[in-house]
Amino acid sequence: MTAAHVRLADVTKRLGAHLAVDAVSLDVGEGAFVTLLGPSGCGKTTTLRMVAGFYQPDAGEIRIRDRLVNEVPPHRRNTAMVFQEYALFPHMTVAENVGYGLRMRRVPRREARRRIGEALELVGLSGQDRKFPHQLSGGQQQRVALARALVVEPEVLLLDEPLSNLDAKLRVRVRTEIRQLQERLGKTTLYVTHDQEEALAISDQIAVMQAGRLLQLGSPSEIYLRPATRFVADFVGLANFLEGDVVDAHHVRVNAAVVAVDRPISQSGRVTLLVRPEMIRLVPTGSARVENLLRGRVATMAFLGSLARYWIAADGAEWVVDVPAPGHEVFRGEVGLLLPRDRLHVLSEETRQEG
Amino acid sequence: MADPGLAVAVAAVGALLLIFVLYPAARVLTFPRLAEYLAVTQNLRWLQAARNSLQMMVLSTLTATGVGFLYAFAVSRRDLPLRRFFQSLSVLPLFAPPFMVAFSYILMFGRVGLVTKSLLGLDVNIYGWQGLWLVQTVAFFPFATLVIGAVLDQINPTLEYAARNLGATEGKVMRTVLLPLARPGIAAAMLVVAISVLADFGNAVVIAGGFPLLATEAWFLIEGSANLSGAAVVVALLLIPTIGLFLLERFWVGRRVYTAVSGRGTRIEQPPTPPAIRWGLFAGCAVIGTLVLLVYVGVLLGSVASVWGYKWAPTLAHWRLGLAQGGAQLLTSVKIGALSAALTSLIAVVAAFVTSRRDLPFLKVIDFLAVLPAALPGVFIGVGYLLAFNAPPLLLAGTSWILTLALTFWHIPLGYQAAHAQLKQIDRSIEEAAQNLGAPGLRVLWDVYFPLLRPAFTASFITAFIRSVTNLSIVVFLVTPRNLVATYSILAMIGGGFWGAAAALTTALLAITLAGVGLARLLLGVRLRPLGST
Repeated sequence: MTAAHVRLADVTKRLGAHLAVDAVSLDVGEGAFVTLLGPSGCGKTTTLRMVAGFYQPDAGEIRIRDRLVNEVPPHRRNTAMVFQEYALFPHMTVAENVGYGLRMRRVPRREARRRIGEALELVGLSGQDRKFPHQLSGGQQQRVALARALVVEPEVLLLDEPLSNLDAKLRVRVRTEIRQLQERLGKTTLYVTHDQEEALAISDQIAVMQAGRLLQLGSPSEIYLRPATRFVADFVGLANFLEGDVVDAHHVRVNAAVVAVDRPISQSGRVTLLVRPEMIRLVPTGSARVENLLRGRVATMAFLGSLARYWIAADGAEWVVDVPAPGHEVFRGEVGLLLPRDRLHVLSEETRQEG
Repeated sequence: MADPGLAVAVAAVGALLLIFVLYPAARVLTFPRLAEYLAVTQNLRWLQAARNSLQMMVLSTLTATGVGFLYAFAVSRRDLPLRRFFQSLSVLPLFAPPFMVAFSYILMFGRVGLVTKSLLGLDVNIYGWQGLWLVQTVAFFPFATLVIGAVLDQINPTLEYAARNLGATEGKVMRTVLLPLARPGIAAAMLVVAISVLADFGNAVVIAGGFPLLATEAWFLIEGSANLSGAAVVVALLLIPTIGLFLLERFWVGRRVYTAVSGRGTRIEQPPTPPAIRWGLFAGCAVIGTLVLLVYVGVLLGSVASVWGYKWAPTLAHWRLGLAQGGAQLLTSVKIGALSAALTSLIAVVAAFVTSRRDLPFLKVIDFLAVLPAALPGVFIGVGYLLAFNAPPLLLAGTSWILTLALTFWHIPLGYQAAHAQLKQIDRSIEEAAQNLGAPGLRVLWDVYFPLLRPAFTASFITAFIRSVTNLSIVVFLVTPRNLVATYSILAMIGGGFWGAAAALTTALLAITLAGVGLARLLLGVRLRPLGST
């Protein structure tokens, strides 16, 4: 692990009576791409704006490369930001917009012109420098905003839901471009989104937030496969939950059945198992196997191209099961749900109390 | 298309506008003979009046716009102390009778002024161009504030954050971002103010003294020597710069306003204003606000002080005298105001409806005529109606109808533009749905558009009412002993030295207009935005 480039320690912020950010601690490594993910109102944008210096924390510390920046005004931070609605200056051309930060830094004109050109080339907008923002498409405006942030060679790049104003196809393309650019430049990046798919696709690390608190920090696969809490599991991807009592380190009793789990269980008493839809295999009811097999009845099915999604009533709950690469074969009526013992995840204790 | 009801509406609106807008305007321009126009170059007094009008236009526009910008910028800052108070304060003068600032400032700052003589012991002559300059600045800065404020409000606060994020200090944000973005608004405000200053009759007639101006000269010509063609020439002269400014405003500035960045991002709160700037703005607002408040204080005190400047003991004698002499006219004013406001709104809504429908050349004419009165100074309309309707077939002179109609058609643009703006918001599919279900053209207007246009209708009704009740520039040409209205009586009282009674009647008039504003708030929950010339 590299040294923390941006460090938040117990950062707390109230907005009016609302506790927007509640003792959040987070380290962003040099060159890392960290995403703050959560539903609206979870405090992710407030956290980002504190790093930018628009808000000052009520408590806690924000350090950028070991320098305490709590009191540093936004224009002295070099934390260039891409805003959700881009915030391009409508009265300035593309070149003037991109050059604004350089102007504020008194970069000599010749050098500024060169860097503006390079930045526009970087985002694929060469030759558009004389246009005004309203003459550009949404995607192009987005790139101008990105170029404007990158051209000042910021210490940290901040992005606040930069893709939310783009249509779905473009969103996927631009997010890939942002990630490639970030990797190429090795720029430490803090990214805010409420879109879990976007977060999984783009990040080195994801920080899931809810009600001002940081619930879990981890790589995309950790967040998806080993969520710390039921909220995280539910917010990131689709989830089936199974409640049961621990029998021993490898077995949980769920109603009448016993489910085997490969990873040793440290808790005792009642636990919650997470089963992702694509982990489950559907089998005909006549199957000979009994271990980790639940019986259910198909309620409805949706064909989604690359997969078929079933909603199945089983064990007193509704289950979501994804069958990858579906053919013409369709399950109807009674089916068996086979739970893979090597991929079942037991949520930690604290979750259950909260849920 | 082949809808008889619609055709009737087009014909009716078209005919009304031709008779009551185009005809009087044409009458003014064609009334004087060519030689009389050419004689202008020899008439030193008129040339002086023209020069003076332009001089006041430049001076008052600069100060009123400057003050208006400062004020608008101040109240656009969410953290300005007493922001709400200052906001409502700047709106008040928009609804005051157009001579009120001048009248009140004579009471406050004149030779026997409360401030100048009684408090400071000075001997000040406020009559003349300096006094008019001060009065017009105070009277018209709210127009500038309104226009500039609307532009400032549209600036997305995120732009401020973006500039700060890219390294700009607070001062630089203002210079490089806020000011350039407000520039089109400032230009528009200057034009609006300039038109108002040029056409300002009420303040000029009360305070300009021996300083000749185009707006008042026409009235002096008619009152003094019944010189109709002279008056027509003078108002025609006044029309030249007014129309020029109006066209500039509509076709040049109107198109240069930057619309805020698209996108549906959540609006974020403005960054805090640095304390030094915040308190500086507060001080500015306090000074301007005091000047505005003094307008009201002056008139209120004037209505109850025994003998202004000499005996301050309170008395109700002025109220008794004022209401005895002007009570009936006050009632006439209200009646005429209500009727003309209703007509204005109705005609405006129908006109906006028909012109928004399809592109026929004839509709372009209606559109032009419905907007034209906004470019015509009140004195121009007054002279026009005087010349156009004092002979059969339309002998209206001396009746209250001539006042009603003049005010109705002068205010048409208010309602027309409001209705047009609202129509743009209404999706065509609503209308198509109504047609699809079998509603013919006018039925669509009645069933769909009237209910949806009700806010525009109500707003234009109340605005037109207030402006009609307080109008002086038109009625001054059209009143006779048979159709006297309150504003004219007040003017006569000021002229005759009955300041107390004039102040009492002005206060009563103000109470009526403020009741109208309150009613609008109640019915619409919005602020009125009365724009156009005085």
